Amino acid sequence: MMAFALAYSGFTALCLAMARHHEQILGRRAVTPRRRRLLSGLGFLLLAAALASLVLAEGWGMGTLLWLGLLTTAANLLVLSVCYMPRAAPAISAGFLVLGLVSTLAGA
Amino acid sequence: MKDGFRQSMAWLHTWTGLLVGWVLFAVFLTGTAAYLRPEISYWMRPELALSRPGPHNAAVAVAAMQEIAPASPAWFITLPDARETTTRVFWRDPAARGRGFRSEVLDPDTGRPVAARDTLGGEFFYRFHFQLHYVSVLWGRWIVSICTMFMLVAIVSGVITHRRIFADFFTFRPGKGQRSWLDGHNVCAVLALPYHLMITYTGLVLFMMMVMPWGVGTAYPGDQRAAFNAEAFGNPPQRQRTGSAAPLVPIAPLVQEAQRHWPGSAIGRIVVANPGDSSATIQLVRADSARISNNAQSLTFDGATGALLHASGTDRPAAELRGVMYGLHIGRFAGPLLRALFLLSGLAGTVMVATGCILWAVKQRQQAARQGRIGFGTRLVEHLNIAAIAGLPFAMAAFFWANRLLPSGMAERAAWEVHVFFIAWGLCLLHPLFRPGRRAWAEQLAAGAAGFLLLPALSAVSTGRHLLATLEDGDMVRAGFDLGLLACGVMLAGLCWKVARHRPAPAPSGRTAGQAPARPVADLPQ
Repeated sequence: MMAFALAYSGFTALCLAMARHHEQILGRRAVTPRRRRLLSGLGFLLLAAALASLVLAEGWGMGTLLWLGLLTTAANLLVLSVCYMPRAAPAISAGFLVLGLVSTLAGA
Repeated sequence: MKDGFRQSMAWLHTWTGLLVGWVLFAVFLTGTAAYLRPEISYWMRPELALSRPGPHNAAVAVAAMQEIAPASPAWFITLPDARETTTRVFWRDPAARGRGFRSEVLDPDTGRPVAARDTLGGEFFYRFHFQLHYVSVLWGRWIVSICTMFMLVAIVSGVITHRRIFADFFTFRPGKGQRSWLDGHNVCAVLALPYHLMITYTGLVLFMMMVMPWGVGTAYPGDQRAAFNAEAFGNPPQRQRTGSAAPLVPIAPLVQEAQRHWPGSAIGRIVVANPGDSSATIQLVRADSARISNNAQSLTFDGATGALLHASGTDRPAAELRGVMYGLHIGRFAGPLLRALFLLSGLAGTVMVATGCILWAVKQRQQAARQGRIGFGTRLVEHLNIAAIAGLPFAMAAFFWANRLLPSGMAERAAWEVHVFFIAWGLCLLHPLFRPGRRAWAEQLAAGAAGFLLLPALSAVSTGRHLLATLEDGDMVRAGFDLGLLACGVMLAGLCWKVARHRPAPAPSGRTAGQAPARPVADLPQ
């Protein structure tokens, strides 16, 4: 769950780093280059964190497989949410992160 | 038309994709269903009760085989696991027709044949997705292999053709005709690309012996096929029958021995050669749910003395590589979460093929509208699209209906379930001849939706076990399957509603797919 949340918010950040989607989600077209770099950096970092957490939990083989599968699912969901309710995308992402944290803490 | 690398790749992508698109759609959809093969088989045999696999299953199965086929030269026993609730046995019988095998499905606790209706269950979708039906097994496999090679070509050329792979990564714009079909095709293709490449490539690897036998033929000339089998698959060479009788050793100690070798994982299969003879061997094969690799690890014991003869599947990189690819393709190692992800990716692949075929038809129709004439080719593609894409789910629903409605004592019952599947599909092929395009889409989708939505009700009426009862029994497989059927029905109904409600958009202005004005490079994410 945590890994999925990380993947989802990672993609959200990457998505926000692109002008067209930035406009869809936040209503402003202009993204400063600094902010774009920051967002895409954060996005890749989150995706990497998702991979790291899965590999630590499941080992290299299973971890990578799960990671790829979760990436696909997360990106598909994000595409749908950006398309049909763009304004809610950051909130959904934050919601997944909270859920992920809760389930991690509950599992620990 | 064919100037420039990207254009020629686009051409290649279009034609490799279109020519085999309908076969690929069917292979993808039934292959995705095959991930649920044990669950489908279980649902289609409502007589079976839940049972938990236990360590006694092996001994029960061997004892049963000693009664059923004491003189057979070889037994192949597949033990139940967390998903499969029956013991399945095959044995060689020189008197049997065809390939000389007989088979039976046994109760894992009593060893008696299960009293269930005669059905292929999920096995049908599994077999269909790589060898079709009604054609000989070899022809079917060749057809599917060739289509798979086209698929691989289409994937690679598609990635090259799709110039805005990162810029359009998250883009889906609904309600814009051709643009939306292209977006949908791209999203399904790009987001699940690792899966598509994996499944296509590993699918080919599974048939490497058939498609490309020359490598093996060169390295192992003449009749050294047995040597190859021993090296690649770890099967020890067969022992000649001696003719002197010797009872089989009890299986339980061997199972314990095997569990010491593979701590924490179960025995999946047992192969007994020459039972009752002093040359007997007992091979225990590790369950394939334990590891990603399907390269079977096995221990072979002497059947008369119980001594360990041979251990295989430990350290051969080439065989292990093939094993990993095989394992990845069939996904039998996957737990529920990963299986769900495989399932979703499989559906994405199905949608990718479907949108690709539809995209071609939409594009052609627009060009035809400009020229004022719709060609035979366009109409043919549109017709086949309906029959393949809307018709197949309906046919699958019909297959499940047949399972519940055909009388259980009927002769050739399992074959007739399959006949019903193809009759339903055949009707879908004829139906668009009499109905105009959009109407045909809507009606077939509606029929499919009704088929799936009513199935849980039909099942409740015909078996007397409805969804709430199965939930109460804790039979999550049946309950989940019913819910899954409902979900399929809702999905088809949603599609049908969209198609029926759709009003053709006004003809788009000159801009067509792939010719959108290029964005400044700065927009790319990296």
